[in-house]
This record gives sequence, structure tokens and C-alpha cells, in this order.
Amino acid sequence: MSIIVSIHSFRGGTGKSNVTANLAAQAALAGKRVGIIDTDINSPGIHVPFGLDERSMGRTLNEYLRAECNIEDVAFPVGENVGSEPGRQKLAGKTIWLVPSSIKSTEISQVLRDGYDVGRLNEGMQSLLKKFKLDFMFIDTHPGLNEETLLSIAVSDILILILRPDQQDFQGTAVTIDVSRGLDVPSLYLVVNKALTNRYDPANIRKQVEQTFGAPVAGVLPLSEDLVDLGSKDIFSLREPDHPWSKELRKIAQVVLGI
Amino acid sequence: MSSVFDRLQKQLEIQKREEGISALDLADLPPEMRRIMRLMLREVVMKYTDLCKAVEAMPAAQRLSRNELDSALKTLVEQNWLLRFGQAEMVSYKVNLRRKAGSQLGKDIWSALDSRIGADKENKSTP
Repeated sequence: MSIIVSIHSFRGGTGKSNVTANLAAQAALAGKRVGIIDTDINSPGIHVPFGLDERSMGRTLNEYLRAECNIEDVAFPVGENVGSEPGRQKLAGKTIWLVPSSIKSTEISQVLRDGYDVGRLNEGMQSLLKKFKLDFMFIDTHPGLNEETLLSIAVSDILILILRPDQQDFQGTAVTIDVSRGLDVPSLYLVVNKALTNRYDPANIRKQVEQTFGAPVAGVLPLSEDLVDLGSKDIFSLREPDHPWSKELRKIAQVVLGI
Repeated sequence: MSSVFDRLQKQLEIQKREEGISALDLADLPPEMRRIMRLMLREVVMKYTDLCKAVEAMPAAQRLSRNELDSALKTLVEQNWLLRFGQAEMVSYKVNLRRKAGSQLGKDIWSALDSRIGADKENKSTP
């Protein structure tokens, strides 16, 4: 059975796309058939750790939404195009596809101006699951609550909400949890990212967050200068597998995805 | 060239889509309707017979009787949130999701933005 995993955060800058890329990469490394779809059409970013930029990006989700092609035409086979970064090279030959959103300013402004067919987006996601026989499909959402985010949540089997230990994130996450429960998502997990684990005990952070939201915390990822230094140019957990951030990420993959 | 009938048909289809359900509306549906809609969103198009089988396979606490299912489908179709196709054994359903609306900003703003982006790109590419 295919499992849809949405990764969401109420606010921007939580590291959502990075966590999504790393979880998807871990699933692919474990031999799973994986798809990633960037529904953050207003501010796409997950293509970066997979080595794509405006020039190298082929067809995009935007073209599919404009009914110019089929969804499989815009799926980029990551395992066949790993490039020279050591982390990504571990994905060589793996079954992992990325559906990127366009980074061209004219295409982003076109979506903002004209809107798009939400039904077609859903049909594309379901079609991708079936055509590529995916075990997991990861949806990288736009932060906050909007049409595409709510759709992603509504069709998901698993929702991962990323938050930083910050009051603004806490309040926004509470709103998102309320909406998600209203949409009957079967499994909901929280992931705390950018935690000061050298100052505060991760076990206490986990306990506090679980008590506050009444939802399980899948992991507490430390704030890492090494991750910042990499600047999203590679898949961190593949590049630095022994780093504390990578070890915690793998625990999250184990708890949430069972891999 | 498309006929008047084709154009009217297209216009009706556009109008129907505009009246569809938004993802936020899903959260406000009664639980039994929401369960049907979630199922339909995953399957995209479902025959009535398959829908009945899927409902029967639900956990006992969530299962709908045939009457409850038929009543929920009737309401969802009347609201134009589900589209109904075909006849008799071949009756199928599909969720009618509302199109994401574009920006309400005036068209002049967007054309000004497009020209500005175009001009910036041209300047950058000029050595």
C-alpha cells in the first residue's frame, strides 16, 4: 500500500524542506520506491538539496497544472542524476523521483495571478503513486494554512508537523493540529527542529511538547552549524551519517516510516 | 472551431468547478461525509459498487450502513461537491474540488510585474 506523508509547518524557516529531503532519501536508501512533490508553489526549495537549479530543472509541476503535460513527464529521476556531491551519490540507482515546482519568477507570479486547478493537483499526486508504484510519497507543503496545504493534509496517511522551540511556532502549530484533527489524518507526529540540545535536555523538550499538544514527538533535531554550513547543497544525513542530527533523523524515519 | 453547444458545455463545466468544495470545507463536513470524501480523494474516481466495498471494509466504528452511504452521497452530489457519472451498475463519483482562486490584485499590477521581471532578466543577460 502506498503511504502519503505530508511535511508541514505553520511558519517558514523551520527546516521543513530539508527534513523532507532527508526522510525521503533515507526511505530510498532503505530500498523503498519514493516520490517527492513540491507543493510549495509560491516559494519552492526542495529541489536544491537534490542538485537542481533554474537552469538544470526540466519540466515542473507548474506545467502539469497548466495541463501542458502528464505528471510523470515532470518527475525528475534523482537516482539517475546524482551529480558529484557525496551524499547524493549514495542515491545512485535508487528509485526516487522529485516533482519540482518552478523557480522561474514569471511562473510563480502566474500561479499567484491565475490560481490553479486543485483537483488536477490531487489527480496528479494519486496518478504518480500508481504509475511509479510508490511505497512513499512525500509532500513538501507551503507553510501556514492554505488551499494546497489543506488538500495535502486531507489526502495524507501521515502528517509530520515541524516546529522550532519558539512561542510563535508553538501557537501556530496548535492551530494546525486543530485543523488536521478536523480532517481526520490517521497519524500525526511532531518534529522539533533547531533545538538547543546542548543547553536543554532533548527528553525534556519532547515531554513538554507532547504535553502541550497531546501528540507524539517523533524526534528532536539539534540546531546544527554544520547543517547551516552545508547550505542545502547536499542531503546532509547521507553526507554526514554519523552526525548527531543525522542519527536523530534516522530515528524519526524509523518511528514515522518504519524503516 | 468549437460549436455553440461545446462552448456552453465548457462554460457550464467551469461554473460547476467554481462551485466545488474547498479543502477547508472538508473539515466542516459531518464525519461520515468526510470519510467518504477522504476515500474519494485518494481514489479520484470510484464506482458506486467499489465505494460500497470500501465502506464495508472500514472499521466497525466508522462503517456506514447502505442507507447512510446513499443519503450522504445524495447530499454531496446535491451540493455539487461530488460529481456523479454513468448509469445503473456503472455509476461513479468524483470529488469536485474548487479551483484555487487567483490574486484579486488589478491586472495592471501583474503586467507591470511581468514587464519588470522581463526587463531585469534582459539587463542581466546583457554583458
